[in-house]
Amino acid sequence: MNIIEAKDVSVTFNSYGDIIKAVDHVNFVLPKGQTIGIVGESGSGKSTFARVLSGLQLPTSGSVTFMGNPIQSGKNTYEGALRKEVQMVFQDPYGSLNPRMRIVKAIAEAIRQHQGLDKKASRVAALDLLESMGISALDAQKFPSKLSGGQRQRASVARALSAQPSVLIADEPTSAIDQSAQAQLLGLFNDLIKKGLSIVLVSHDLGVIRYLSDYVYVMKDGVFVESGKSEEIFNNPKEDYTKKLISSIPGRSTK
Amino acid sequence: MSINPLVSIKDLKIEVRVTRAKRLSIVDSASFEIESGKIIGLIGESGSGKTMLCRSLVGTLDRRGAYIAAGQLIFDGIDLIAAKQSVWNEIRGKRIGYVPQSALAGPNPVMTIGAQLAEAILQDENFPKSDVEKRSLELLNIVQIRRPETVLKQYQHELSGGMKQRVMIACAIAQQPELIVADEPTTGLDVTVQAEIMELLKQIRKDFNTSIILVSHDLPLINEICDDIVVMHAGTTVEKIPSKLIKTSKHPYTIALYNSRIDLVEPKGQLKTINGQPPSVGNWPAGCRFSERCDFVKDKCRVKQDLPLIEIGSNHQTSCLRYDEIAR
Repeated sequence: MNIIEAKDVSVTFNSYGDIIKAVDHVNFVLPKGQTIGIVGESGSGKSTFARVLSGLQLPTSGSVTFMGNPIQSGKNTYEGALRKEVQMVFQDPYGSLNPRMRIVKAIAEAIRQHQGLDKKASRVAALDLLESMGISALDAQKFPSKLSGGQRQRASVARALSAQPSVLIADEPTSAIDQSAQAQLLGLFNDLIKKGLSIVLVSHDLGVIRYLSDYVYVMKDGVFVESGKSEEIFNNPKEDYTKKLISSIPGRSTK
Repeated sequence: MSINPLVSIKDLKIEVRVTRAKRLSIVDSASFEIESGKIIGLIGESGSGKTMLCRSLVGTLDRRGAYIAAGQLIFDGIDLIAAKQSVWNEIRGKRIGYVPQSALAGPNPVMTIGAQLAEAILQDENFPKSDVEKRSLELLNIVQIRRPETVLKQYQHELSGGMKQRVMIACAIAQQPELIVADEPTTGLDVTVQAEIMELLKQIRKDFNTSIILVSHDLPLINEICDDIVVMHAGTTVEKIPSKLIKTSKHPYTIALYNSRIDLVEPKGQLKTINGQPPSVGNWPAGCRFSERCDFVKDKCRVKQDLPLIEIGSNHQTSCLRYDEIAR
């Protein structure tokens, strides 16, 4: 069962009269319970494509379906009950939490919105959720500016999970945090995968992609130049571009 | 230890003024040396004091309300702590180049790249103005920017992240400095661009015998290109180790950092994370600052004490009290 399917999706931008094809007629499937990695350099269109999947960006042509139904109706996407099914984690943990709201309040608000709990119950649920993300009740009372980058990124994962989604789209979740915090966050994603969450992971860090993904799409200039099972891509890359990406991973010689 | 290192940092202590009476120390007892022509990697988690240490080397601490409270900081025989502004003017940008952390916001947004390079070149007052453009092109060629003539007329928002970083490096090497301080030069850039920038730094070292301090939290990267690694934790230097010996590290923090590499485990395998969070500034535990997070901790580690770096091998120093018991 494919939970999300994208058929022949294109996104073009108009820049001072030039037409820029950010995403160029691509097809994509996310089978239920799998983790799909999308990898490519800056400007390859991977973030734009992730935004199309999450409904933040309307495709110029082509369509995206969720469980067989189109996500778009008119100019809106993921309306009604679908709204909570697909959630996104953004690259910048500093920008994705309201700086004037304590963490627990921000999460409780999202829970109240999506799960229909009352104020008190949503607060308890928020504390539980944050606890499972490794953020203590004490830290949950703090403002985002008082947390470390890794904690903030885990809080924004908690924010996304508060809607109880079936799909999580993570756009470069680890690129703004340091190595040990990254290991903690990836451990968290690993637990979520075991619980059956389907994940689309966008990153230029091949280590992260290799660690989490079942299936990998390699994107260049708006098209998928190669796709395949994770081990195949990393052990037997066919395209020169993929080979170049893999050879750029630092420290391969010093494992 | 060499007799005449280019830079010698000893027990350096950096504090910030919080209020009129309150002082917080953000770097406590940092010690290491840099020999000319070496690439030194400075590694540690966010908030371990890496950036402040770099700023002390270019004399811009006061812009963050910080100052050097104690210790020694000597660059080629010059005491940088006592240095007056006139001395700094001869060093900063001329003998020590700086590539700042936020490369993406690095170049001045309202100056063309050409104007900015000219500024860097004309720090040398005797440089003939008529040659500025020629030298600018030469610098852009060194950092391998394509179409340098066009780039000179462009503004930073017209360049990609990798190109901005190359421009910042071009500015830093304009005066052929003896030392380049590169503070997380590739954070936020693609792996392919990162690999190119690292090649470029290596090339500069080779061509000009420049020493480089490379700050990063990416251990595999540091391990690959640096000669020696200096590990910082909570404002102290805990270990100095040659890159090729990293597997025989004698400090639990370095070992934990090394083990948290995701390329060491099978896909979806168990990751080894470092326990807890780094201690926050001002709340440092007594004794060893890693003691709260350490698997090897003994009671003697928690006793309030100074933990200097102990020489345990050629170019290898550690501050761990139990270094001789650590075996992997």
